Amino acid sequence: MVKQKVAIVATGQTKHRSRRRDVNISEMIYEAVKMALDEAQLTPKDIDAVVIGNMDHFEGINFSEMWTGIESAPGYLKPVVKVATGGTTGTSLAAYGYYAVASGMYDKVLVVGWEKINEGGATTGIVTAFDARWERPALAGALGPLALMASMYMWEFGVTPEQAAKVTVKNRRNAANNPFAHLQQPNMTVEEVMNSPVISWPLRLHDCCPQSEGACAIVYAGEGVARKISDNLAWVKGVDTGHYYTYGGDDVMHKYPAAKIASTRLYKKVGIRNPLKDLDVAEVYEPSSWAELMWTEALGFCEYGQGGKLLDEGVTEMGGELPVNPSGGVIATNPIGATALIRVAEAAIQVRGLGGKRQVPDVELALAHGFGGSVWADLMILGKEP
Amino acid sequence: MSEDKYFHGRIRVPYRHVAGAYAGRFIQEIGNNKRIMGVKCSRCGKVYVPPRMVCFACFEKMKEWVEVGKQGTVKGFTVVNYSTPVMPLKPPFAYGIIELDGSNTGFVHIIKEGDPKKLKVGMRVEAVFKSNPEGNILDIEYFKPV
Amino acid sequence: MSEKKEEPFTINWLTDLPYRYALGPVASKFFRVLKESGKLLAIKCRKCGKVLFPPRSVCADCLVEMTVDDMVELSGEGSLDGFTVVNYPFVDPNTGETRPFPYGYGAIKLKGTDTWMLHFVDETDPGKIKPGMLVKAVIKPKNERKGTLEDIPYFRAVEKK
Repeated sequence: MVKQKVAIVATGQTKHRSRRRDVNISEMIYEAVKMALDEAQLTPKDIDAVVIGNMDHFEGINFSEMWTGIESAPGYLKPVVKVATGGTTGTSLAAYGYYAVASGMYDKVLVVGWEKINEGGATTGIVTAFDARWERPALAGALGPLALMASMYMWEFGVTPEQAAKVTVKNRRNAANNPFAHLQQPNMTVEEVMNSPVISWPLRLHDCCPQSEGACAIVYAGEGVARKISDNLAWVKGVDTGHYYTYGGDDVMHKYPAAKIASTRLYKKVGIRNPLKDLDVAEVYEPSSWAELMWTEALGFCEYGQGGKLLDEGVTEMGGELPVNPSGGVIATNPIGATALIRVAEAAIQVRGLGGKRQVPDVELALAHGFGGSVWADLMILGKEP
Repeated sequence: MSEDKYFHGRIRVPYRHVAGAYAGRFIQEIGNNKRIMGVKCSRCGKVYVPPRMVCFACFEKMKEWVEVGKQGTVKGFTVVNYSTPVMPLKPPFAYGIIELDGSNTGFVHIIKEGDPKKLKVGMRVEAVFKSNPEGNILDIEYFKPV
Repeated sequence: MSEKKEEPFTINWLTDLPYRYALGPVASKFFRVLKESGKLLAIKCRKCGKVLFPPRSVCADCLVEMTVDDMVELSGEGSLDGFTVVNYPFVDPNTGETRPFPYGYGAIKLKGTDTWMLHFVDETDPGKIKPGMLVKAVIKPKNERKGTLEDIPYFRAVEKK
């Protein structure tokens, strides 16, 4: 039951890179926040509340909102809350920012996600997120389980490494149209992916996402004020979240049940009968090439096992029936705390027609999806109409 | 038989925190040129020492570097009497909030004066630079009363 | 202009914190039985009948609390339904050092349970793995067991005679 409709009025991102030695965390967040506030023509005083997101242990700061969130977020003398849900941090941030405005309690909320991953290590940080008694001894961060999922997927459905490699080719090529993306590789080929070293069988180097440093910010506004701020808005049509069991092995990971359940519920809420036809673009969180094939199935774009075929037929390419990841996705850019928020920002950019070279024509409805090592799923649908 | 009802674990992780270009230049100027730099906000004129990228009040990036004095006024202090291996000086010594001449912010550093009777708010102090800089804030070794 | 290529100083910091994670009655029994008799236990929900590994106190589907009396013994055998060879360096937070690699890691459906255990597998050549092959938990000899998961160093293929 929402008290007021909510729109995204502005977004900001840093140019994501593997290492930002020129700035500290606070300064990096400022770049994304300033871009968003300038676009909305708002000052820090105009913001009612801030939601900030990051996986603390990755940078070794156990209370990151305290000094990184206050100054640059800008959270001084405002309600500030931190959200940390692993890879889904960015979409959880997006959901909580939305709830804050939809509840009617705040009118203008700024949401910021960030990661400065080279201060620590992603894999190490991820291991500490898991159960010390049962899982940490063998767990190898996110890539280990992602590789297990790829092997289970391959063994059950016969999807091939070449089909997975096509995801990398598509997304890194798309990333060349995105000025913010980290790995812009318009000339990537299936051969290059297949010749890259094996990182965690069957995942090769180019089947895996990079580690990036960057930040992303989004400004939400309630319907009363949104139209005063901008006449180009992306309205939040609906949000849904699916969580998973405690341990990775508790369910069939490669079928991503959290996404299946959350997407089924969300489509019903928003009135979508056939996602392939009704959605115009999707920004999904694919930490590996294989994952994008699996996610297109769990999100209902095709039946289980048909993800490889869907891409073979060009359905998810630019120009296809449902382009997936025109921004380049996670396999091109991955500042973890920001990554899922970038999916929402890019979906908003598509709805608002601001995508430039990566713009998909005539976008009415866009889907943004977040995934994390917890095998959770957060979904948001944005639209041109409220 | 009772036994360990706990699993003894550990989180042991190395980190490398990047201080950023502003902090980097500040430390370099102290070490290489024995001078203390701040940044000035072009909107409100406030001078920040240590320098930072964003003016707190105006939310603008600051680009103007200014040299501030090596002397300043003590705005507050405390005297340290206990000893631990990480102390930069042998106690007793003081920590002070020092407003350097030309800056608008307080800067926390060590004052080499262990007698609380000799310390007062408003007193003047001067920076003493380390002869062999190491690339951190203790390249100003301490402040001494003048 | 502040976008100069300055050489910023970097602070090296080592977080080194000891923790005592309470096991609770179910996990305590699991590790005690593992240490004393080298056997693996799972736990069965009284309401839905699902058998869960690792054993835990609450069934997520039913929100029913289970006790040590609901624990069942396993053979330690299972099918290898997912496999990878971890082949990249990373700092292991248990030690602060790089974990040795490559190592085999698999998703094993233990016989008698409804979940998969994600654990070490004693094989680093994917060519030797057949999807779904039978594997068994290798348990350390009693005098080397500590009552932690390390007492099960890995799963190994069961040779067909």
